[in-house]
Amino acid sequence: MELFLQQLINGMTIGAIYALIALGYTMVYGVIQLINFAHGEVFMVGAYIGLTVITFFGFATGAGFPAALFYLAVILLIAAFLSGALGIFIDQAAYRPIRNSPRLVALISAIGVSFVLQNTVMLIFGPMDKSFPEIIPPVKFIFGEVTLTLMQIVILTVSLAFMVLLYWLVEKTQTGRAMRAVAQDHKMARLVGIHVDGIIRFTFWIGSGMAAVGGVLFGMYYHTINFHDGYLAGLKAFTAAVLGGIGNIPGAMAGGILIGLAEGLGAGYISSEWKNVFAFVILVLILLFKPTGLFGERVADRA
Amino acid sequence: MNPKPKKVPVTLVTVTFFTFFILAGCQEKEPVIKIGVSAPFTGDQASVGLTILNGAQLAVAQANEHGEVIPGYKLKLTPIDDQHNPTQAVTAAKKFVSDPAVLGVVGHLNSSCTKPASQVYFDGRLAQITPASTNPGISKQGFDTFFRICATDDLQGPKAAGFAFNELGARSVFIIDDKTTYGKGLADEFQKVFESMGGKVLGRQGITQGDKDFTPLLTRVRPLAPELIFYGGLFPEASLLIKQSRDLNISASFLGGDGIYDVTLIQLATPAASEGVYATMIGTDIQSLPQARRFVEAYEKKFGPVGSYSAYSFDAANILIEAIRSAGAFDRERVISRLKSGRTFSGILGPTEFDQDGDTKNKIISVFRVKNGKWEHVRTI
Repeated sequence: MELFLQQLINGMTIGAIYALIALGYTMVYGVIQLINFAHGEVFMVGAYIGLTVITFFGFATGAGFPAALFYLAVILLIAAFLSGALGIFIDQAAYRPIRNSPRLVALISAIGVSFVLQNTVMLIFGPMDKSFPEIIPPVKFIFGEVTLTLMQIVILTVSLAFMVLLYWLVEKTQTGRAMRAVAQDHKMARLVGIHVDGIIRFTFWIGSGMAAVGGVLFGMYYHTINFHDGYLAGLKAFTAAVLGGIGNIPGAMAGGILIGLAEGLGAGYISSEWKNVFAFVILVLILLFKPTGLFGERVADRA
Repeated sequence: MNPKPKKVPVTLVTVTFFTFFILAGCQEKEPVIKIGVSAPFTGDQASVGLTILNGAQLAVAQANEHGEVIPGYKLKLTPIDDQHNPTQAVTAAKKFVSDPAVLGVVGHLNSSCTKPASQVYFDGRLAQITPASTNPGISKQGFDTFFRICATDDLQGPKAAGFAFNELGARSVFIIDDKTTYGKGLADEFQKVFESMGGKVLGRQGITQGDKDFTPLLTRVRPLAPELIFYGGLFPEASLLIKQSRDLNISASFLGGDGIYDVTLIQLATPAASEGVYATMIGTDIQSLPQARRFVEAYEKKFGPVGSYSAYSFDAANILIEAIRSAGAFDRERVISRLKSGRTFSGILGPTEFDQDGDTKNKIISVFRVKNGKWEHVRTI
């Protein structure tokens, strides 16, 4: 039982990061019906921006917890802001000019962007694994057989906070309502005076920012980051978005956690050799039996 | 838009074409002997692969300082990146084979690359010396072009098992490997001998290279309470396994093969978590050898701290140079027969003599341990 609890914690931690990335997939799909395959790379770039911020400001490891939290806040904000800008740039450069072309064209463009980003990062930061400084102190809490690190608590809290914030933004604010309107019908939204292009830019900004938050947390959790880390994480987050029902925001959150749990429990109880298989088996099953995802593609609510 | 066809590009193409033509002509005229070197220079194993490149570079630079290897020819090193990818390794091997100026190759790093490439070298009658690939099966393929100057896993695995059982006093172990030619092979050898000594293997699991989250697996290992975790694989995954097992409060000792013996491991796993990690290495401690002192000085001056396989690729390149010199002619077949002749080459690792299979007879395994954030030589076993 305690072991099961430990596996749940393991799965939830990585699942929370998948969920943060999945939100970007689902939001962008919501407003322009595009699977933004460059999104995984934005996540990776976010991690590298975080690393650069740490080196630039000389944030030291081994600082006390309050100082560490302050550092984390600065790193997350800068990484999210800049990656958001990158997201807007990607949209303007690679998707906007072909907005009215068939969907496949945009998909190919997205894959191209993904290659460009990977190789740019490789050229700037080098091909090797970069070590990510341990900003959050390596504190462990031990309850019998269950161990919880401070980093895991930080990941779970921060991702939850960002998800609640996003939910509030989409459901309760004027901008959120505009996003939902754009998701329903571009033309109609424009007719009632919504600045559709602005909303699309905003969506890219928020989605990419979320991915960057995930990237920074990912780097801090594993202490290493590599230019090709975005690929697999992005693919799994995409699976999470499809699992929850693409276009559905709470679905993406739940999907991320479920994928993390499936991986954790699968690797823990069945075989670690097949770890990557579990997530993708779920993807295949979902596509075969419930293509709209667990929560359905609630067209009216997608944003 | 201007509908007229532009003329400039045509001129440009012509000029470029002729420039290349002339340059290519120039290259043909300068007589060179080439030694190829191939290892991963990009990708996750780049930091290790570059130690191989640097060692070979130093050897070639020093040889050129001492005059011509074969009169009238200049010696040149040709590096090709294999990216830790068997397909790229085979491509590299084909390039070397098809360039008649190449008389020998130092490479590759990973057994999974060396094995398929060795077939290409054999078919192309080109001598290959690997400085680092330890899988014993490679030299059992009957290729007379294959040579190896490091010890193999059928020695490393048993020695590691002996060290674990006798010196660490471990009676129970959990074995993890990365399912590669090298990692699985090493873990197999370790397991065989550890069990025959009376040790208990509590379980064995494979992981995937490039994966980052091993907490599910380690959570499963923890209640088994092994005294030792043995890992057959490379440092990127090892560093995560070490860090995550310490985070999960697993106190078992950690032992791996030469694949985890790299300074980057300590950086990636954090010095605190990697404290006390053991690694076996396929050779002796280079810092302790008096004949290697000059090499260490020259290397550090040029490239910084000596890496895991720098000395091996330095010796491998020097052995090739020596074989080419004694062959005395531009002839691949004669280079191979010089290496096969059973003569002893003296290098910084000591005397190297190749046996029937092309393996060195100078086989030493030593153990290193992380102490205060640095690899420290424990003993030679």
